[in-house]
Amino acid sequence: MESLYQSLVAVEPVTLIAQICNLFLQMFLFKKLLYDKVIAILDKRREAADEQITAAQSAREEALSIKATYEQNMQQAKIQADDILSRANKTASARSEEIIGQAKQEASRIKQKAASDIALEKKKAINDAKDEISGISMAIAEKVVERQLNDSDQQKLVEQFIDQLGESL
Amino acid sequence: MELSINGAKILMTLENVPIFGTIHITQTLVVSWLVMLIITGLCFWLGRGLKVTGISRKQAVAEMVVTSLVNFVRGNMGTEYDHYIPLVGTIFITSIVSNLISLLGIWSPTADLMTELAWALVVFVLITYHKIKASGFGGYMKGFLDPIFVMAPINVLSELFTPISMACRHFGNILSGTVINALIYAALTTASYGLFHALGANIWVAVAVAVLGGVLIFLGKQKGKKFPLILGIIVAILGVLALLSNLGGIFESFPWLTVGIPAIPSLYFDWFGGCIQAFIFCTLTTLFIKQAAGE
Repeated sequence: MESLYQSLVAVEPVTLIAQICNLFLQMFLFKKLLYDKVIAILDKRREAADEQITAAQSAREEALSIKATYEQNMQQAKIQADDILSRANKTASARSEEIIGQAKQEASRIKQKAASDIALEKKKAINDAKDEISGISMAIAEKVVERQLNDSDQQKLVEQFIDQLGESL
Repeated sequence: MELSINGAKILMTLENVPIFGTIHITQTLVVSWLVMLIITGLCFWLGRGLKVTGISRKQAVAEMVVTSLVNFVRGNMGTEYDHYIPLVGTIFITSIVSNLISLLGIWSPTADLMTELAWALVVFVLITYHKIKASGFGGYMKGFLDPIFVMAPINVLSELFTPISMACRHFGNILSGTVINALIYAALTTASYGLFHALGANIWVAVAVAVLGGVLIFLGKQKGKKFPLILGIIVAILGVLALLSNLGGIFESFPWLTVGIPAIPSLYFDWFGGCIQAFIFCTLTTLFIKQAAGE
């Protein structure tokens, strides 16, 4: 059988209509099988990326707020520490002053007491010495009387003695 | 040798079909269906098992195809015409596959004007729709009277010639490729018979040519020069083929020169022309629609 050919440029309405239908069918298939699927995947990926970026941003904001709180707390803690330290210093210095004052008071009291004791003792000693002296004088007088001392001798002797006594004291 | 360049081969004729009358099932239709099968299969294969993360190489290709298509349409039309992306993409892919299928020796559906005219008519409908939408029906009709009413016939013609010129541009380029390929085949077949009849007529001539080629190869190799080497290879092959055609049978009747040589013009007419025409058709589609809507 001899093959039949169309002419090189043939107008065939049936082919034309068929090709239009083919185009739409092909478009439908392309859209359903590939285009829509790939677009859906790309959209999903973009959403996922957006989500991650948003999550990262919110995490960053959270971290920043945590940092701010932390810094604030640190500031407060520092202030408190300073406060406590200065108060402790004040207390300590007040206390030390108090203790030193007390010690000074005590020391002056002890000194006063010692001085009064010394004065008392001195008085006592002087009194004792006076007693002793008078006793000794009495004894001497007795001895002198025994030896019949004249008045001038006796006077001389007593003076001498008292002088001696005064030197020794 | 006789050379005839025809349109699509009529494979089947259906008589007395209601409404249509006589229907010719041509190569154009059958190859179009083949092209559709190929594209649909490709789409099905590429669109299967898509994942959001950890994508395969296949999915990377699918995403690249769709992304570049989207970028192409958005680059030409902006983002508000995204619903035309599948149409433009379909025309582009169908055009590319139809043009390149001729490399397999199959009739190219785009070498039939009706194919391109079908696409161009769809584009024409869209253009007209957008023009009417943009300026109203009255405004659209009034546009034909611009700048004065005498221009109306010319304006109508220019409107009608938009799809025709689009279709003919694509069709003409593909057809010229087909025609030139046919011419080159015919010429090379004739040249092949002539050459090998001359060389193979006497077995000693063939042997001498083969030996000459061998000597040239030897010299080229020894001196390290490329030109004698290549020339030698060509001459030696010619000599061997001449010897073979001297043997008769299939070797004598086979047009040896049509092997490989037509691939060189085909680089331009099939590969470059096929791709660039698909691209131009789609660019024009997007630009015309954008222009129609912008007015």
